[in-house]
Amino acid sequence: MGREILLLLQILFPVIAGCLLFVFARRNNRSIQNMYVVTILGIEVILVLCSCLSKEITVELFCLTPSIRLVLCNDGLSGLFGILVVSVWLLVGIYSLRYLKETRKPVMFYGFYLIALGVLEGLSLAGNLVSFYLFYEWMTLMTVPFVFYNRTGESIRASRKYLFYSVAGASFALAGIFLLAGNAEGLYFAKGALNENANVTEVLLASLLLIIGFGTKAGMFPMHGWLPTAHPVAPAPASAVLSGVITKAGVLGIIRSLYYVIGAEYLAGTYVQTVFLTLALVTVFMGSMLAYKEKVLKKRLAYSTVSQVSYVLFGLALFTPAGLVAALLHMVFHSVIKNGLFLFAGTVIHETGEERVEDLRGMGKYMPVTFWCFTFASLALVGIPPMSGFVSKWYLAKGAMEASVGAFSYIGPAVLLISALLTAGYLLSITADGFFPGKDFVDATPEPKEGHVSMVIPCGIFAVAALLLGIFAEPLVEFVTTLGTGLL
Amino acid sequence: MIGALQFATDGFRVVYALLATLLWVMTLLFSKQYFYRHKHLTRYFVFYFVTYAAVLGVFFAADLLTLFLFFEIMSFTSYVWVAQEETEAALRASKTYLAVAVIGGLSMLMGIFMLDHAFGTLMISELRSYATAFLEGTGGNFGNRQTYLYVAAALLTVGFGGKAGVFPLHIWLPKAHPAAPAPASALLSGMLTKCGIFGMLLVNCHLLFADATWGKVILILGTITMVSGAVSALFSMDIKRILACSSVSQIGFITLGAGMIAIMGGHGIALQGTVYHMVNHTLLKLVLFLAAGVVYMNLHSLDLNKIRGYGRKHPFLAVAVAFGGLGLAGIPGFNGYISKTLLHESLVEHMHHLEAQGLHSEIGMFKTVEVLFLVAGGLTLAYMLKLFVAIFVEKGDGEEKEKKSSMTILSGIAVCGSAILLPVLGLTPNVIFAKIGHAAEKFLCPAEVLAGETHNIHWLAFENLKGAAISVIIGIVVYVLVVRGMLMKKENGRKVYVNRIPEWFDLEESVYRPVVLVALPFVLAFFSRILDTLIDGVSGLLKATVFAPRKRKMSIWVGTKVTHTLGTAMDGIIAVLNKTLFHNHPITKSFVSVFAVSEMEARQTFSLITGSVSFGLLLAALGLAITLIYLLF
Repeated sequence: MGREILLLLQILFPVIAGCLLFVFARRNNRSIQNMYVVTILGIEVILVLCSCLSKEITVELFCLTPSIRLVLCNDGLSGLFGILVVSVWLLVGIYSLRYLKETRKPVMFYGFYLIALGVLEGLSLAGNLVSFYLFYEWMTLMTVPFVFYNRTGESIRASRKYLFYSVAGASFALAGIFLLAGNAEGLYFAKGALNENANVTEVLLASLLLIIGFGTKAGMFPMHGWLPTAHPVAPAPASAVLSGVITKAGVLGIIRSLYYVIGAEYLAGTYVQTVFLTLALVTVFMGSMLAYKEKVLKKRLAYSTVSQVSYVLFGLALFTPAGLVAALLHMVFHSVIKNGLFLFAGTVIHETGEERVEDLRGMGKYMPVTFWCFTFASLALVGIPPMSGFVSKWYLAKGAMEASVGAFSYIGPAVLLISALLTAGYLLSITADGFFPGKDFVDATPEPKEGHVSMVIPCGIFAVAALLLGIFAEPLVEFVTTLGTGLL
Repeated sequence: MIGALQFATDGFRVVYALLATLLWVMTLLFSKQYFYRHKHLTRYFVFYFVTYAAVLGVFFAADLLTLFLFFEIMSFTSYVWVAQEETEAALRASKTYLAVAVIGGLSMLMGIFMLDHAFGTLMISELRSYATAFLEGTGGNFGNRQTYLYVAAALLTVGFGGKAGVFPLHIWLPKAHPAAPAPASALLSGMLTKCGIFGMLLVNCHLLFADATWGKVILILGTITMVSGAVSALFSMDIKRILACSSVSQIGFITLGAGMIAIMGGHGIALQGTVYHMVNHTLLKLVLFLAAGVVYMNLHSLDLNKIRGYGRKHPFLAVAVAFGGLGLAGIPGFNGYISKTLLHESLVEHMHHLEAQGLHSEIGMFKTVEVLFLVAGGLTLAYMLKLFVAIFVEKGDGEEKEKKSSMTILSGIAVCGSAILLPVLGLTPNVIFAKIGHAAEKFLCPAEVLAGETHNIHWLAFENLKGAAISVIIGIVVYVLVVRGMLMKKENGRKVYVNRIPEWFDLEESVYRPVVLVALPFVLAFFSRILDTLIDGVSGLLKATVFAPRKRKMSIWVGTKVTHTLGTAMDGIIAVLNKTLFHNHPITKSFVSVFAVSEMEARQTFSLITGSVSFGLLLAALGLAITLIYLLF
């Protein structure tokens, strides 16, 4: 019984803690409030670790009807995703304490921040597609306040757009789930969930709908529009988790539905694969190109996310074990790197107030640590060895070439490399201008200072992780390889 | 796992590691004086040593992936050297350098992906056997296997050649070398370009061993690089730029040699010539760039007109530069003579070979290359003469009033010590060079080709001296006619050097930057933007049309629908006119009401008419008239 409680607790604990925060928070006890948030996050880390390390079990919470059951299950993938979410949440949470200090109502942020954490843990633990869908919708609703946190007209419009896109995407996914429900009993996440006499047309159509639906959250063309709008207006910690984690929820949805319920062999070589590959590659290129052209720092990073998450989707679209391994690796690496980059953006905006890239010239002199973090994270995102981005890119290219996907075997890696070139163009130029402003550079007045320790350290941890995960990639690679080969 | 870092060692790698160490030591000795009172030195030296480690990593890498890793580290850390001075030119040059490095690196990575996919291994020592096996195999998604291998080799060569400075990716050299501090220029030119050459030799000798088709492509690229570099060096005004363009040209010689290795089957004089010239160029550029650094740190200028006559009182410097110049030009007794003779000999021998086989059609191409080779050799002498005469012979602005020493002892050791090596190598071709040659052959050629190969070159034979003599004559003629004639003009009674290169004659500024930075991004971003706004556009359109809140029906206060529409349209036009034409005397009345009033009047009139007796009479008359007309016809 203890383990079942543990799974449930992992979800309910932060949700309840978040609700309590709304009830009891007072305006004048900020420090207690901060302590509270950090403690909750810390306990949650322990809970997640415990449930990951414990034996795999399936818990059935209740059933709405015999065919609609809410099921939780802590398998390998949920462990990977759960740990990723909670560690990012902890670091970004610590970062946000300082970042949001001067804003009006941090309580609103932290409340939803904790609730969203619980929902995301639920998402990772969901044991069938229906439960997944439930947490997926709740995730959308709980993250909308992040976007309109600043309460400007622009941010409210952006949150409306985020909601519109998310709900539209989720309804595509729901349509897919409906279609699939007749062909897979219970929609459990287990290999071979599909009935033997499943209707091929229906399953293919369902998978296409699921790809588009969950692809919306993952920022895949054509439903990526919310990302570049929502990220820049949200406060930096919120954009960091939106970009680093929430987009990955879409990826998780695609893995869960296509790899677990339907099965990758079923889809390999069908028109669905062609469409999926094309959409992913178009997004990879389009995102990078627009990021290269973009001048607002956070918007540039948002377009970069559009492009990079589609690296992951490209790996998934290969429908081979190697592709899945590459995708999972890039999912983790991108999450780490992009969080680092957004925290960098946050620190710069917080300390200097500059939001455009050209205004960051020469700032490396004043904020060397922050800029070094940025440099490491950028190099990792471009995929310079031995940084983490290189490892995942290597597996992606290798996977693409080994998969029997016709011309995509070579077009894919080529597009990835061109996108890497653009990535270098839009990220390294910031570093270069930051550290080498040129002889004519006039010192900024007042001189910006390095961010507060509680902002620099999380950013630094992400940057160092971006490097170390690449050098010591072996355990992670082994883990995801076992996961991938178990599935296929 | 991708693979562990793997290292290998053998004679040739060690030679290059030693050379790298020599270069780093010499430049370090020189740095003390050069960087006196410079800013950001910590930064410089951190990257200085990291790059050293990376270069050693490149030479000792046992597989392509390890090599790639260190190659990338080297590219990025050496970028800081170029940007070090933070002048506008330096920043621009550093961006170009970075762009070439990143593009080259990614292209290389694609090549490595392809090889890894085809072979399953990237060990350099096994590439040759795997390539042979791969070409014999069938199946797989490789398409035409020979083409596949060529594409992979070409992608790798883009990466390596970009670093080496082979046309058309040589653009970074003439910009980056002058912008970097002198010790860094010496390393960039002496060692980093050689890392690129090292990689090209790997492709040439390990991946595509003795592939004549590939060899010809490389040969042509080398020839273009050689000639274009020499010509731009001749026209340059800035000593470091002269040296940088000269680097391009000498890299061309080496590349030409690499091509000849492939054409001639991988062994013998072409290989020796190539490797010797690599080594020579490393040492020559060390001396020459350090010498340029001496001039710069004393005068803070690199312009030939401003530094003219500086060296008249500095005999040691003069000897060092003279050694460098003579070595570069391939004058007997200096090291350059040995390598250039071998390269020339390889061309001549191959032509003999072709003649013996009766392949006359191909001789023409090699004849042309040979002529260009001698011309480029001549141009080398000409630009070095230009440099030497300007600094050490002519009187001019750079000359100092009283004699003061230009170098500290450490710098002196660095410059003169390196310079001594040049004649030593040149005078003992069968001692040191022979050893390097053997090591290189062992590294680059399979064992079975090497068996039974011996060469005895008579260094002072007439045939070999003839080539050098032709080059010297061309060089002197070019110097007298072009440099003294065309590239100088009288100004205030004395001759000064002038820049005769037109503005647009710059591949980077007139082609690459506009295309890569403006045209391509514009077009691609345009299409990306269309895709980006696709759904937003559709939803916007829907919002404006189908889902638009229904407009409240406007009640028409006066007039009918027709008059209202006409009036609104008229009002619109008037509003526009008011803003533009009738700006001063705007029309204020509303045409909606005007039309409504006139419509009402018209209607009233009409009803009046229809109600009158005369209207009835009129209609009766009209009916009568129609009846009459009907009866008539």
